[in-house]
Amino acid sequence: MNKKLLALLIAVGVVFGISLVAMLLGMRNSEKRMVVITQDNQVIHKIDLNSAENQTIRVDGTDGSYNLITIRDGEIFMSEANCPDQTCVKMGALRAENLPIVCLPHKVVIRFAEEGDA
Amino acid sequence: MKTRRLTELALLTGVALIIFIIELRIPNLTPIPGVKLGLANIITVYAVFRYRPSETAMLVACRIILGAIFSGKPDTLLYSAAGAFCCLLGMLSVRKLIPAHFIWLCSVVGAIFHNIGQICAALAVMRTTAVLSYLPVLMVSGCIAGLFTGLCAQLLLKRLGKEKPNHPT
Repeated sequence: MNKKLLALLIAVGVVFGISLVAMLLGMRNSEKRMVVITQDNQVIHKIDLNSAENQTIRVDGTDGSYNLITIRDGEIFMSEANCPDQTCVKMGALRAENLPIVCLPHKVVIRFAEEGDA
Repeated sequence: MKTRRLTELALLTGVALIIFIIELRIPNLTPIPGVKLGLANIITVYAVFRYRPSETAMLVACRIILGAIFSGKPDTLLYSAAGAFCCLLGMLSVRKLIPAHFIWLCSVVGAIFHNIGQICAALAVMRTTAVLSYLPVLMVSGCIAGLFTGLCAQLLLKRLGKEKPNHPT
């Protein structure tokens, strides 16, 4: 085995290892309770899950697209969307900081609030 | 280009498209967007080792464009194109280093670059760093999927080729 191949193997191993650690760290359930909903990178709702009542929020896009976001018993999830892939709906409730609920086609994101969110 | 080569490439594109469309029918194992096996990549890895870089690029471009049309999701074209372009660049640049029984490594490198490309496209479209947090998850699943498809391609190359896979003319 030559040196370049070995270096490549090690590099791939390191990338995999770092990703694995970052993934496991990010998948822990978040302690945060402040959640923001953004559309086109603009914060449109900021919600405290501790005090929020059960409700459904409708987020409309410019081209007839919509997302229905439901808050129930302190959990927030995408309950309906008219996007083609439905990935955001299938993701279920928001739990981890590093796994925001993203609707790529509609550019709608539900994530835990960070410092600096208006 | 010789007719024989053209036909082979067209056949491979067809095979890759069929694999791609069958894979669409398999439900996702995880709810995380972007996590999939990428079985059509078996054909890309095969082509990387058997054909010229330009020929492989043509094959992948056809597969991506036709795949976007046939799957009925043309809006995902940007993501898959960015991913495939980076993946191809990555695999072509390490191809020369890799002996026949390490072809899986080439596929894993391709998977890593594919994810980087897709995240860059998502960054450009979404203009938020929130998508960056997906990268570790995509990397881990991509490496595992890449290992699997790479091993498939390695078996394929071993059985299909009498000539040595590392010397595309």
